[in-house]
Amino acid sequence: MKRLASFFITVLLLGTLAGCGAVPNEGPDGAAAQGGGAKSDGAGVGGAGGYGSNLDDPNAAGALTEADRRVHFDFNSAALTPQAESVLAKNARALSRSAGRVQVEGHCDERGTREYNLALGQKRADAAAQFLISQGVDSGRIKTISYGKERPMIQGHDETSWQQNRRAEIIPQ
Amino acid sequence: MESALWIGTVMGDGSSILPLFFRNKLTLGCRAVHSAFWYIFGSVNQTFSQLIKLKVLAIALLFFVNTDMAFGALRIDITKGGLQPLPIALSDFVDLSPNGAVFPQGTSGRELNEVITADLERSGLFKPLDPGSFMQTPAELWQKGPNFRDWRLIGAEAVVSGAAYEKDGKLVADFFLHDVYQGSLVGKGKRFTAPIRDLRHVAHRIADEIYTRLTGESGYFTSRIAFVASRGDMKWLALMDQDGANQVDLTRDRTLVLTPRFAPSGEQLFYLSYERGPPRIFRWDLYTGKRTIQGDYPGLNSAPSWSPDGQTMALTLSMDGNSEIYLRDLKSGNLRRLTENISIDTSPSFSPDGRQIVFNSDRGGSPQVYVMEANGSNVRRISFEGNYNAAPVWSPRGDFIAYVRGGGGRFRIAVIEPNGQNGRVLTDSWMDESPAWSPNGRVILFSRQSGSQTRLYTIDLTGHNERSVDLKGNINGSDPSWSPLVR
Repeated sequence: MKRLASFFITVLLLGTLAGCGAVPNEGPDGAAAQGGGAKSDGAGVGGAGGYGSNLDDPNAAGALTEADRRVHFDFNSAALTPQAESVLAKNARALSRSAGRVQVEGHCDERGTREYNLALGQKRADAAAQFLISQGVDSGRIKTISYGKERPMIQGHDETSWQQNRRAEIIPQ
Repeated sequence: MESALWIGTVMGDGSSILPLFFRNKLTLGCRAVHSAFWYIFGSVNQTFSQLIKLKVLAIALLFFVNTDMAFGALRIDITKGGLQPLPIALSDFVDLSPNGAVFPQGTSGRELNEVITADLERSGLFKPLDPGSFMQTPAELWQKGPNFRDWRLIGAEAVVSGAAYEKDGKLVADFFLHDVYQGSLVGKGKRFTAPIRDLRHVAHRIADEIYTRLTGESGYFTSRIAFVASRGDMKWLALMDQDGANQVDLTRDRTLVLTPRFAPSGEQLFYLSYERGPPRIFRWDLYTGKRTIQGDYPGLNSAPSWSPDGQTMALTLSMDGNSEIYLRDLKSGNLRRLTENISIDTSPSFSPDGRQIVFNSDRGGSPQVYVMEANGSNVRRISFEGNYNAAPVWSPRGDFIAYVRGGGGRFRIAVIEPNGQNGRVLTDSWMDESPAWSPNGRVILFSRQSGSQTRLYTIDLTGHNERSVDLKGNINGSDPSWSPLVR
């Protein structure tokens, strides 16, 4: 599990570095290489340059990009939009093919009060988590957390930024 | 007793200076933060002059008593004229040597007066007069008593005279408050004794005394503010005096912390910390530095607040499906659920008698303010204007509830009576939040965000006298909590 977690983190980091949804080649045991060097099982690759672009790799939950693991909400709402449900369904499918755990984080835009937004962020995280569970993901694999308005994705103070900041994120653990 | 002290007796109403005893405690973890606790003996014999009574009391009581008070012809209409602060002459305290002679090299007297003047001026109820216009020197004022005609000439309605000296390594400060028109003392002379390092505390205590004698209300200058300080993406808990002095950091470990809440005793804080991953409520004992987690329930743990007796915490938990309000007995840890519906319920705040709780719920479709009995029964909505009313806090006087009123894309501080009557918006900005009451229920402290800056402000209950609170170190401040009086 720990290896899997480091795999997810590696993918996340390298994906960010590469600026695209890069996916590593997977070893037979489902573990991927660390960015710094090949694993002893020889299945890994040496660095970011070795990552392919097989975005539709069906075997890796980590194949989802950051954007694929994020759903957005209307103002003051925790209701899942059809688009959010489709994103979550994709996450559920990816999760069904792995054994990893995820943390679902709920976030709000900067408007409104601290405590109400903490509750709203939790409601968003719970809504996303419930949808994953309804799609067959074991509830024991999901943790939820609310950051309220404490962790905006974008620092702006306009509707475009707020729309981006009202979100739930599925973070592999 | 020094001979000078008897001036008060000769001139006034036969009163004498009463000794005060103190003890010194309060340490914050390893940091030594001091404060004096005063025990005051004897009662204050208040003799108000008609003028002072009319002016200050009318201002002070405007929103606590019906506006058609029996104060003769004088009616203050704050919607037209605003507050009329009382002109007061605050002379430097005279520094004395141990034998009672004037000690010109001393600095305590000036420092005391600076703090007192700043406190009274910031309250908005007093207008300290320019010392350059004073016709009596501080020493003359102290030794001979006020020449009331001189003080009348410059428009002073009250005069403060005082003296300070060191004795046995302690600061001793004596003061008298004079009514210029009546030509008499207001109350007795009073003495404060404290470690020399507590000079500011002594000054705040004297300012409280002046405030109380002239308004009839308890003061709030000997109090502290706990708040969340931030710079960049780092937040930490900080503590300072109500005037921004003595600012100290309580946490500095990059863990996200939110919503500190002073206990009714002023000796503990509840606050929210992400140190264990999800947000959990902790209690920080400011005397011992000991921190204890207050339950570890699945999902969201948030919005801690104290019952007035300090025995119970009201809080918000999401473990039963969505955010609901619970009571947690602080001794046994037993939980009792108060709300039950599919909407968000949060931000509970007790009435000062502990019998009711005001809270925030979106059960009606938008966040609004509701009141219920402390057992969860008899829920009624009290806010109807605005589409986002949240973060209600009950005044320690019980007469008003402050809250954040959202509408038209703005979030402002408002007050409303517990029965839903006489709601008023006090501030006018884009994002004001986290209202907190002064210990006397007169002033509301809140945070204001503009762009990426968040600062602390105070405003009078009447909506007048908005002031920013200076924070040291170019930091942001939010989530303020105002302590009870520190005596």
